[in-house]
Amino acid sequence: MIAALPRLHAVTDDRVVGEARVVERAAAMAAAAGPLLAVHLRARTLPGGAFLGLARDLASALAPHGSWLVVNDRADVARAAQARAVVSGRGGLSVKDVRRVVPGVPVGRSVHDDAERERAKAEGADFLVAGAVYTTPSHPAEPPRGLDVVRRAAATSLPVIAIGGITPARADEVVEAGAWGVAAIRALWDAADPAAAAAAFLAALPAPAPRADIGVVINGEARRARPGISLLDLLADLDLDARAVVVEHNRRIVRREALGATPLAEGDSLELVHFVGGG
Amino acid sequence: MTTTAVAPAFTDTPFVVGGRTFRSRLMVGTGKYKDNATMVRAIEASGAEIVTVAVRRVSLDRTKEEGVLYHLDPSRYFLLANTAGCYTADDAMRYARLAREAGFNEFIKLEVIGDQQTLLPDTTGLLEATKQLAREGFQVMAYTNEDLITALRLEDAGAAAVMPLASPIGSGLGLLNPYHVRIIKSRLTVPVIVDAGVGTASDACLTLEQGVDGILMNTAIADAQDPVAMAHAMRLATESGRAAYLAGRMPKREIAVPSSPSKGMLG
Repeated sequence: MIAALPRLHAVTDDRVVGEARVVERAAAMAAAAGPLLAVHLRARTLPGGAFLGLARDLASALAPHGSWLVVNDRADVARAAQARAVVSGRGGLSVKDVRRVVPGVPVGRSVHDDAERERAKAEGADFLVAGAVYTTPSHPAEPPRGLDVVRRAAATSLPVIAIGGITPARADEVVEAGAWGVAAIRALWDAADPAAAAAAFLAALPAPAPRADIGVVINGEARRARPGISLLDLLADLDLDARAVVVEHNRRIVRREALGATPLAEGDSLELVHFVGGG
Repeated sequence: MTTTAVAPAFTDTPFVVGGRTFRSRLMVGTGKYKDNATMVRAIEASGAEIVTVAVRRVSLDRTKEEGVLYHLDPSRYFLLANTAGCYTADDAMRYARLAREAGFNEFIKLEVIGDQQTLLPDTTGLLEATKQLAREGFQVMAYTNEDLITALRLEDAGAAAVMPLASPIGSGLGLLNPYHVRIIKSRLTVPVIVDAGVGTASDACLTLEQGVDGILMNTAIADAQDPVAMAHAMRLATESGRAAYLAGRMPKREIAVPSSPSKGMLG
């Protein structure tokens, strides 16, 4: 699920959805970027019926190319239009509440500061949309937070989509800071040739940086580990025989046969025990 | 190994705990030995089938040899994990569940300690943990003090065996309260196994003479000058005590009764 998360995110706003040809432009980008593209439908002014109508039109335009429709905030619309993901913005539904509406659909949260990021992580978000990285005409009042907002978001070990003033020329440093992908509004929708703009972004996106190590606690010791590593691989890294060790992961025993399918995440706590001499 | 099972001149009932039958009524711990080779030889000499082990963290820059199973063949011995060092019911249950996950059996020697100096059991926590673990399918062997009421409640709570102490863990003071142990044995249906406190062979013998089903010890063997020889002595003592109990001792009298005929003395 996470591995398939697109890397280029064409985000709409009220202005974009108010323009004609939004579906046509989305289709052009989808033809150029295929499954690497996600179109985020975000509109505060559209009434429900129109919102859903547009969502359905976008979904049908994107689906043939394998591109994703991501719906912002309106979990009900996401469900009706069978969106591939939902992003809950500032003041939006919690991840848990979104899942009640669209179980099994990845849920992202847009985060701008430490408090929002930590809340998103605690809620169990599947990915983060972090920004604004640079100054952007879309949100002139929003202070740019620089690459630090990406770095801090990436430290959660969740996939991060960077947003805010990002251009193909800046894609490199954003990915280097730990972003999985980039999001843009004007640079895509306002381009004379949206397909060419999408292609230019993809060409500029380097392979995602290996995400930074994650911090975990093993037998009371703070340790670093590779993000997403399975417990079975971790035991191998520690040169421990999985048959001779019992693993407790965040106070829950993990059966031996499930070790390979259980990933390690930032902040996890592990107890690795075995039998020693005793009376 | 130097001996000698005494040829059984008596018939005993099988020793059954939690639905499993065991040969030896002597159970031994694996802690405190000065080296692993001595531990292995002592356990062999004891003739024990059930050996206790503790659940502890692996050390991350460890050698594999620190795990007891590296030295002790788990197909040869019945591993009885303990919850030693746990001071709350929750902790003890956590250790028990981890121990079961090791995959050997459902048995747990349940200890909920109430006091650091005496290591005497916290019977409230013990009862609570016994009840819950029994519900989860564990065969709970509950380490308790020599108190009849607690023993009865442990049986009610679903314990597979009740394990009153002879005296505090590691003290070597021997069987301090034979009467209470005897009373417990007479009132319980589940096996009664005396655990902890014996110091030497006569203590083990005296314990089995009370009619209890078995005995568990660690320090008396591990801390002896010669653990292998002491293990051998404990084996004989356990067998002797059991045989004497089954034989039925003569009554105690305050006055002498001659063993030789008074008739036929010279005039």
